[in-house]
Amino acid sequence: MRSIKGLIVFLLLSRALFSSAQSDRIKVSINLNISNNELILSDTTGQMNENTSFQIDVLKFYLSNFRFYKNDTLVFQEHNSFHLFDEAIPTTHHFIMENSENTTYNKVVFNLGIDSITNVSGALGGALDPTNGMYWTWQSGYVNFKLEGRSNKSNTRNHEVQFHLGGYASPNNSLQTITFNVKNLRDIKLVLDADNIFNNIDLTTQNHIMSPCKEAIKLSKIVAQSFSCNQ
Amino acid sequence: MKLRILILYVLLLFMLAFQSSNDYLFQVPSNFPKPSYDFSKNALTSPKIQLGRALFYDPILSRNNMISCASCHSQFSAFTHIDHALSHGIEDKIGFRNAPALMNLAWQKLFMRDGAVNHLDVQALAPISNPVEMDENIVQVASKMQHTFIYPQLFYAAFGDSNITGENTLKAISQFMLTLISANSKYDSVMRKEVLYTAQENNGYLLFKKNCSSCHKEPLFTNDSFMNNGLSVDTTLNDYGRYRVTNNAKDSLKFKVPTLRNIEFSYPYMHDGRMKRMADVLNHYTSGIQKSKTLADELKTPIVLSPNEKVDLTAFLLSLTDKTFLFNSKFFYPKELFLNSSKD
Ligand code: HEC
Ligand code: HEC
Repeated sequence: MRSIKGLIVFLLLSRALFSSAQSDRIKVSINLNISNNELILSDTTGQMNENTSFQIDVLKFYLSNFRFYKNDTLVFQEHNSFHLFDEAIPTTHHFIMENSENTTYNKVVFNLGIDSITNVSGALGGALDPTNGMYWTWQSGYVNFKLEGRSNKSNTRNHEVQFHLGGYASPNNSLQTITFNVKNLRDIKLVLDADNIFNNIDLTTQNHIMSPCKEAIKLSKIVAQSFSCNQ
Repeated sequence: MKLRILILYVLLLFMLAFQSSNDYLFQVPSNFPKPSYDFSKNALTSPKIQLGRALFYDPILSRNNMISCASCHSQFSAFTHIDHALSHGIEDKIGFRNAPALMNLAWQKLFMRDGAVNHLDVQALAPISNPVEMDENIVQVASKMQHTFIYPQLFYAAFGDSNITGENTLKAISQFMLTLISANSKYDSVMRKEVLYTAQENNGYLLFKKNCSSCHKEPLFTNDSFMNNGLSVDTTLNDYGRYRVTNNAKDSLKFKVPTLRNIEFSYPYMHDGRMKRMADVLNHYTSGIQKSKTLADELKTPIVLSPNEKVDLTAFLLSLTDKTFLFNSKFFYPKELFLNSSKD
């Protein structure tokens, strides 16, 4: 009974909201480029050149704190802006930001990973809930970027490759800021180029990162540089 | 039968909820500083504390449903693992460290002997996932609880949502642990000018202030920092303490300064439980200090205590025992909840 009333109130409220303010929606979608194929987990093998192939089993990462600038003035910032991309869950491959004011912008900035304040804020919910498997247990902190798979180049057991990139405290802060100067887009299409990541790592020597360290920072930078955006 | 108990319980929760503001449920002792825990993000309520208490005592948090938090943190030993130098967990696997006593956690900023955990709310993830402690994971825990009779209702009573999330599970465990306040020892009564120390205790107190209180700072008896107090390295463990977290050579062999409240009952002592008796500890400070690069300045010149002074100092340390904490029925095993309520 109460829930029905609540629903009616909710519907009325949301109608009122949508009709009064001209709401401005910015859609972000994230796609993966793996040797120019669409990725299907554990299925698609990327072949970068004759010698190197790889296969991705798990790919999860946080994009957070989306903010929009017009000539370097902040015009819109998404509230509670934490998005967990999980290759295995298609609904996480796009999301919509509601902006009550119709703003124009020419620069979008966001983070790859979770900022340090959020990292020391205790138990959090939604995309940040520890049941999402992106929280380290033995030492506090979020995993910003997780990639697990196989490559013929890796001489580990079953050619496994495991990168859990994170770390929020100096000197091992691996959070990356990504900036794109773009037109006033309402449909932002981000592409993560997996080939570029693998091309920049020597998988024979580096195939396993599981804690905050210098290597994690280096690889986080490579991942950040592997994003591109439509213009 | 089950239903009647549940209805009674829910009624009780409602009654409690009416008088349950955070200030009422968490009273800062008059001789204590302000707590560091940010209650604005997790304000205490009776139903949440009760849920946390159930979780603390429930072995459902472990892979084989046999180990609970209380297995290693039992109340009568000030929530430490009595008699065990290194704690043992699932299938009797031996852990790496001695379980610390749990109390006054709201005043602590970093957790674990090396500060690897940065917030009380996320602490429980460590034992739940540790392969030699509970060897489970929070996803499984939430899913196991969702399929019980009691937990969806307890979560609903606490959070208005019977869907069990990691966030709410952790916040509830935190709430129970935040209520573990020990502030009723003889020392506290003396500070509140309710009773007086004996001459012996008083002398012990003076010796304590001279030799120990820079690290074991009153009134919490810890300065919440990491120090090297001159223990030799146990080469079977090679535990370098804070260094494991920071990788900074300056932190080598530093461990969190533990509280000394209820020290009478929280033996064995030190991060690996190497000392069984208070006399061992005092002998360590007077004649066992190992010199190393990171040894605390205060301990570079040996502490001198005569046999009589050691007795006096011990008398003072015993005045930190808080029986109202050790036997507080609010912290007991919640039998009213677990008896009669099957888990499936
Ligand atoms: C197998 C034994 C064991 C179990 C089970 C266990 N603990 Fe512990 N606990 C320990 C040990 C050992 C430490 C110290 C770990 C370290 O310093 O690395 C500890 C540390 C802690 C601390 C940090 C205290 C401080 O002063 O820093 C808290 C809080 C705590 N445990 C709560 C819990 C909770 C809550 C649970 C259940 C979810 C739990 N423990 C289950 C053994 C255990
Ligand atoms: C330089 C700082 C420092 C000083 C001074 C100091 N301690 Fe400690 N104390 C520590 C640290 C750090 C530990 C924990 C070491 C570990 O876990 O291995 C500790 C541990 C203890 C313990 C064991 C507590 C437990 O629960 O395991 C006792 C008891 C103790 N100290 C008593 C004293 C007394 C009595 C004095 C004065 C004679 C004193 N301490 C002086 C830093 C200090």
